[in-house]
Amino acid sequence: MSTLPQDRREHILTLALPVLLGVAVLGVWQVVTQAFSISPVLLPAPSDIVSSFDDIAGTLARNAWVTGSEALVAFFLSAILGVVAALVLTSSAVVFQAFYPHVVMFQIIPKIALAPLFVFWLGFDSPSRLSYSIFISFFPVALATMTGLNRADANALRLSRALTASRWQILFQVQVPYALPYFFSGLKIAATMSVIGIVVGEFISSKRGLGHYILYSQSHSETAHIFAAMVVLCIVGLIPYGIAIGGERLARKWWRG
Amino acid sequence: MRPGDGLGPKAAGAMAAIWRRIALFQRVLLPLAVAVVFILIWEYGTKLAKVSPLLFAPPSAVWKSLELSFPILVQQSLPTLKETLLGFALASLLGVTLGTALVLSKRVRQALYPHILLFQLIPKVALAPLFIVWLGIGPTSRLSFAVFMAFFPVVIATMTGLLSADRNIVRLCTSLTATPWQTFMSVRVPYAMPHLFAGLKIAVTMAIIGVIVGEFVTAQEGLGYIIMFASSADDTALVFAAIGMLCAVGLTLYGAVALVEMLIQRRLGVTITSSEF
Repeated sequence: MSTLPQDRREHILTLALPVLLGVAVLGVWQVVTQAFSISPVLLPAPSDIVSSFDDIAGTLARNAWVTGSEALVAFFLSAILGVVAALVLTSSAVVFQAFYPHVVMFQIIPKIALAPLFVFWLGFDSPSRLSYSIFISFFPVALATMTGLNRADANALRLSRALTASRWQILFQVQVPYALPYFFSGLKIAATMSVIGIVVGEFISSKRGLGHYILYSQSHSETAHIFAAMVVLCIVGLIPYGIAIGGERLARKWWRG
Repeated sequence: MRPGDGLGPKAAGAMAAIWRRIALFQRVLLPLAVAVVFILIWEYGTKLAKVSPLLFAPPSAVWKSLELSFPILVQQSLPTLKETLLGFALASLLGVTLGTALVLSKRVRQALYPHILLFQLIPKVALAPLFIVWLGIGPTSRLSFAVFMAFFPVVIATMTGLLSADRNIVRLCTSLTATPWQTFMSVRVPYAMPHLFAGLKIAVTMAIIGVIVGEFVTAQEGLGYIIMFASSADDTALVFAAIGMLCAVGLTLYGAVALVEMLIQRRLGVTITSSEF
């Protein structure tokens, strides 16, 4: 840490500039909507959005709990399933070659198109949304972990084998440390995907949750409520992402120590 | 131990060639075998377990449905394809422009980057209804939503890529009196390519997702509309056929981006490849 004036100025600017920009955008937004008396259905002023929190705070909290808890469950399950699948599919070269292209393909195709099928198969309740969300969050974790486990340094692997390390020792002391950065980059994608999966499911099927509430507000021309729900959804969405980042820090510390 | 170890050099070379061919076969045939087995299980599993073909159509029914509704599926994939391509093109153009601007000015980067990162993380899908409020249920709202979905990965990838250039090489160019423009074009841009294309690959998927979600919500035309319509009409065979069509569109576009990446990398002689995710 340096306390040179130049460095300190940079430090302050790095924090202050984004905040200033955010405040400026909100200010312009507020002034423009009022000066041109833009219909609140089209674009509510920031003050409208803030004051709408008073009316719908309870509703929002209830819906946020539904969406957030389902997204978290989907996030954890897809992380576990993704890692297990990656371990199984990298257990032998033949299995890896047989399945890797399929995992890549499933990662690429627009899986969003399958959402209506999950509703069709599993009904309008949370099982359909949960399984759809797990389905779309699973592939980033599985693919990234598979890639990582397979990228372990060949020399390190050969050395461990020459030193008669067991399969488990090689896995945990060579392959897993190599795979961790890959796993966490996949996990961060899964964090976003798990929320997207739940929200898309709620668009299609649900009677509860923030996704449903956003569609409901749109059909009632309550645009301020859409924005308010969106703010809450962003906060909810950052929870799994925060968990992924926290996990990455912990893992890094633990593996170094 | 490989077969061929301990043979003469010539025989070992021939064995190695055969071994390589076997390895190539394995890489192509094994995944194919998995796909065939999966389809057979799907076909005969649904028949043996007497699963209703309405609930879970077997591959043969999907194929029949694909044949039967092929003209409609092609006709409905055109708007989806058009909006996706246009959305992807606009998002790439805007994304590369803004990403470059962020690299050129440190102050702009400091002010904007945290916001862009935030937009990258939030579930933007939830904003689809807002685009309908603003732009109606026509193609414009779906197109703008697709641009909005695909834009942020490109910005972040362009910026990260341009900043990833080796500092020593940049310094070397400066001391060899290269102009900033020369350094930018011959050092920063090649270094940015793997990142840029990783971003573009995400963007092409995001553009499709944007258009499909738009079609789900507006329900006017396109493959997304067909999927919604067919699933509400209990026609899973048609749903699968439309999804197959959509996957073909998605994989083709993704493949096109990957192909352009390969060509550019070959031209630049860059061997760093972007990862698949």
